[in-house]
Amino acid sequence: MPSFPKLKTNAVAQYPAARTTRYHNQVLRFADGTEQRYRDSAGPLHRWEVRLDALDEGEIAALEEFFSACQGRFASFAFTDPWDGTQYPDCSLASDELDMTSLAEMQGRTSLAVIENRV
Amino acid sequence: MLVYPQLATGALSQFPVRKTRRQRTIVNLAADGRSVKLADPAGATAEWQLQYTGLSDAELAALQQFFAAAEGSLNGFTFLDPASNLFAWSDRLDNAAWQKGPLLSATPGVADPTGGANAWQLSNTGGAQSVSQTLPVPGGYVYCLSVYARSAQSTTMTLLRGSDRADRVLGTNWARITFAGSGPVDATSLLFGVEMPGAATVEVYGMQVEPQPAPSVYRATATGGVYENARFRDDGLSVTTTDVNRHSATVNILYVNHL
Repeated sequence: MPSFPKLKTNAVAQYPAARTTRYHNQVLRFADGTEQRYRDSAGPLHRWEVRLDALDEGEIAALEEFFSACQGRFASFAFTDPWDGTQYPDCSLASDELDMTSLAEMQGRTSLAVIENRV
Repeated sequence: MLVYPQLATGALSQFPVRKTRRQRTIVNLAADGRSVKLADPAGATAEWQLQYTGLSDAELAALQQFFAAAEGSLNGFTFLDPASNLFAWSDRLDNAAWQKGPLLSATPGVADPTGGANAWQLSNTGGAQSVSQTLPVPGGYVYCLSVYARSAQSTTMTLLRGSDRADRVLGTNWARITFAGSGPVDATSLLFGVEMPGAATVEVYGMQVEPQPAPSVYRATATGGVYENARFRDDGLSVTTTDVNRHSATVNILYVNHL
């Protein structure tokens, strides 16, 4: 199982970083206006947006290799939430596309999103 | 063999370089949020956008001649990724991609100069032994071979580029040794690697070949940076002349696994 690469600073994300917690609930609305809500899943799922800037060539190559090793959004890996250190054992990349730009030497830029999978 | 041209500086591109990797995954999403995924390795693509500014007349002519030879997106060519290490499995000297002398033993897990443990100890119990890769690249291009190396004893390491050799003295501290230049113009493949003298033990890390005259930051690779049968994405090449002997152009190159 591939592991999400760390930067040379040992961090996995930079500011601004976004984290989303999403529940999946259903709502039934009745003719009198009342409604009934229920859970339609076992619990929340998380999503992390990892935007990375000022990367050196080695860091961006490590991310590219990780993307290739995962075959895009196919493979699962364990991801440690950079906010609280919680490890989520079954996550994958959200997209089959990775866009990397080198603006200058040691000025690489990319972004990727990680989603927690329902086990 | 058609090969994407280098600039007069020996570099293959200018900043900014944009590279996009795409994979294809079939996802069947269930109502409860679970998913079943199927990978399609043959559907992988890579795309580069190279933006050139300040090209000289000669550099532009070379680019236009190459574009005409490829007839736009019609014919494939070899593309050396300017954002990659041309070696495959650069951190795995035990991989089959490496040709290793029979009396050379490679031990992984040695502390490397970046704080990791991806260096290798090479022990040679015979005569001169090498570890190398033969890459399908044009001989006449400018390449820079680089490797971090050190040895507890005073010894030399020979850097190999085809039949060209360069001896470098190793110290007890990590140092990056390099060997830049071009090989025979008519060669269609080149061997790159390092050779150790007999009865020597050295530690190496970060074997890298780049299609440029000087080394950049080490990039660990699995697939390598040589793309045979890449193509221009577009059938058109637009050029803007900004001054005398000054031109700019943007080129999009596509590599598709299944083509």
